Amino acid sequence: MSDAMTDPLLAEIVGPTPGQMLRRRIFGHQGLLIGGTVVALLVLVAIFAPLLAPHDPYAQSLVARMKPPVFLGGTWEHPLGTDHLGRDYLSRLIYGARVSLLIGLVTAVISGLIGSVMGVCAGYFGGRVDAVVTFLINVRLAMPVVLVALAVVAILGGSLTVMISVLGLLLWDRFAVVLRASTRQVREREYVAAAQAIGASTPRILLAEIMPNIVNNLIVVVTLEMAHAILLEAALSFLGLGVQPPTPSWGLMVSEGKNMMLFEPWLVMIPGAVLFVLVLGINLMGDGLRDVAAPENRS
Amino acid sequence: MADKASGTLYAGFTKELENVDSYFNSSREGVVMQRALWDGLIYRDPITNEYKGNLAESWTWVDDTTLEFKLRQGVTFHNGEPFNADDVVFTVNFVADEANGVKTQRNVNWMKSAEKIDDYTVRIHLKKKFPAAIEFLSGPVSMYPNEYYAEVGPSGMGLKPVGTGPYKAVEVVPGQHFVLVKNENYHDSPKGQPSIEKVDIRTIPDVNTQIAELFSGSLDLIWQVPADQAQKLEQMGGFTVANESTMRVGYVSMDAAGRSGMDPNPFTDVRVRKAVNHAIDRQAIVDNLLKGKSQVVNTPCFPSQFGCAQDITVYDYDPAKAKALLAEAGYPDGFETDIYAYRNRDYAEALVSYLSEVGIKANLKYMQYSAIRELNMKGEVPFNFSTWGSYSINDASAMVSQFFKLGSLDDARDEQVAADLDMADTSTDPATRIEYYTKALQRITDQAYWVPLFSYNTNYVFKTDIDYTPTPDEVLRFTTMSWK
Repeated sequence: MSDAMTDPLLAEIVGPTPGQMLRRRIFGHQGLLIGGTVVALLVLVAIFAPLLAPHDPYAQSLVARMKPPVFLGGTWEHPLGTDHLGRDYLSRLIYGARVSLLIGLVTAVISGLIGSVMGVCAGYFGGRVDAVVTFLINVRLAMPVVLVALAVVAILGGSLTVMISVLGLLLWDRFAVVLRASTRQVREREYVAAAQAIGASTPRILLAEIMPNIVNNLIVVVTLEMAHAILLEAALSFLGLGVQPPTPSWGLMVSEGKNMMLFEPWLVMIPGAVLFVLVLGINLMGDGLRDVAAPENRS
Repeated sequence: MADKASGTLYAGFTKELENVDSYFNSSREGVVMQRALWDGLIYRDPITNEYKGNLAESWTWVDDTTLEFKLRQGVTFHNGEPFNADDVVFTVNFVADEANGVKTQRNVNWMKSAEKIDDYTVRIHLKKKFPAAIEFLSGPVSMYPNEYYAEVGPSGMGLKPVGTGPYKAVEVVPGQHFVLVKNENYHDSPKGQPSIEKVDIRTIPDVNTQIAELFSGSLDLIWQVPADQAQKLEQMGGFTVANESTMRVGYVSMDAAGRSGMDPNPFTDVRVRKAVNHAIDRQAIVDNLLKGKSQVVNTPCFPSQFGCAQDITVYDYDPAKAKALLAEAGYPDGFETDIYAYRNRDYAEALVSYLSEVGIKANLKYMQYSAIRELNMKGEVPFNFSTWGSYSINDASAMVSQFFKLGSLDDARDEQVAADLDMADTSTDPATRIEYYTKALQRITDQAYWVPLFSYNTNYVFKTDIDYTPTPDEVLRFTTMSWK
């Protein structure tokens, strides 16, 4: 160690460690930083909702309905005003972050598991497995997500669990398509052949050789689907078929404010803006993570 | 541009009509069209509630189940067909036949048949004693032209309606608009003579769009405007905002008979039902959400309806008492249930919030009316926020008897109540009717089978150059509108 430090020749070839390079790539990527910050902030808000919310999001006060937010002449008692039942808008927004993020995360995990397993198996084994998976993907793509979700929710009734299950079971197609294609590419590489030659087991090849080289694609799809699920939840709740009131959900807030949109546009604009910021943040973060983690950018 | 100079009044409807033929339609908009295009034998003045002859000049009860009418002479339908006894006989016999599938059977199924005595004398035979006959004949039962209707049927009538009413339909484009023009030969009817030349009704489902069109001048009149928007429009000025009460009553029904299979079923305990009654601040809901001429209602009928007695048990807002009653019934920490609702999600949410304050966790199931009605008929709805408009019939039988006579929608299934209502519904003596309605209503409120909530109101917003006074029966009458 001390030799290397003192040897001028060696000192010249010592570059940054891989960790340092990763850090440099992360901090050099503006989109990732902005997206990451937005998502991290909203996750913190969701986690610490009970500490941050100034009021109980369910506490109604019919005498204090639709008070305007501070910047439109309201008071600091309700910084973002109150809704049509006199509930504090800021508190509902904060608790609404929990619903949105929970749905986004859990949906991405469920659909990610289903889709990745199918995609990787199809890509690696090929043949009949591939034929079956491709058929399933086609079947799934033939069903419009919103329509199926509407039908299921109409039959079972809307609730958080139903929403998450429906979306989780519907949004795996992109995982399967993308991971199938990238697995096919990777399995032709020499190092996979080498691993097969030295007798590595299939699970070992899949986990140690294939996964690390396709995980960057997975990350992009995870973030895309998370944003997709959050928007779908908002859309279904807006239609009255998603999360049921009085649970605070941003989509529901937009829907409840819609009737008064002409006179009190902020009722729609505030939850709409937050939804936009979260989805944008997740997408930026996903793009950034892909750039940072992509093997071709590693050197 | 819609204004006085054009002679055309542009009105906006929120809902599309199922069928313009009023016997095959159950929406409020359909009632409006029915009153404009057709006439009944009798007319009830919406202000004085006095019955006046319209297509009939007079009527008498021959016996308990037979009504005789002397018809007005010289009336013609819009297509030139003269109105006489044949039209009445044909219409009544057609609608009373269940096989013809009139949408709201209750409006017509009390009639057995009609019989022609001479060209201008008709008898209507009832199935059994039915004191509200006059009220129904002045409301949903309108007279159709026999020759035309026999030829075109309900679907033809829906596209080219022909009646004797103050307005004729000249254009019917379902889902888009209806154009009505003044009937120049309108008979000397108690409805009055139409003044506005032409009415163009457009279907615009979104309230915000309606208001925007009102601002831009392409609409003159909108109605059923939600309270908050109406209040804003009133503050802005430039429009007449008129508010009238309606007969529609909101209520919460509970599964007192234990049909829903909830186990344990808290609603079978009268203390729980009373607790629910005490838990809801109905006055606050009326003052802040419904506003206008709405009022707290304590009976399962609208107070102006005949027989809707008000000397009954009233439950005030008292959450502490509600909690105590729940504890006494064995639910000190409350319980969880589903609450169903089909309209006014905000009111439903307000109810859910009041209930949660006393410990009742009600999960809102917001569904289509028809879906809930079906579940309710199967007895699968434990807790239901619903409303009933009584078809604007000013008689308690149109509401309380609808729900408490052991029918499939009866969640109370109280035989004593049903027996009292049976007496009240079939008696022809007003005093007896009042006596038995009172008994039934007292028992219903003592047992707290329902939480009667409030009456609805309707906001009418129109340009200031229109002269119009809305009536409390939620019927838009173009005949009484004029340009200033």
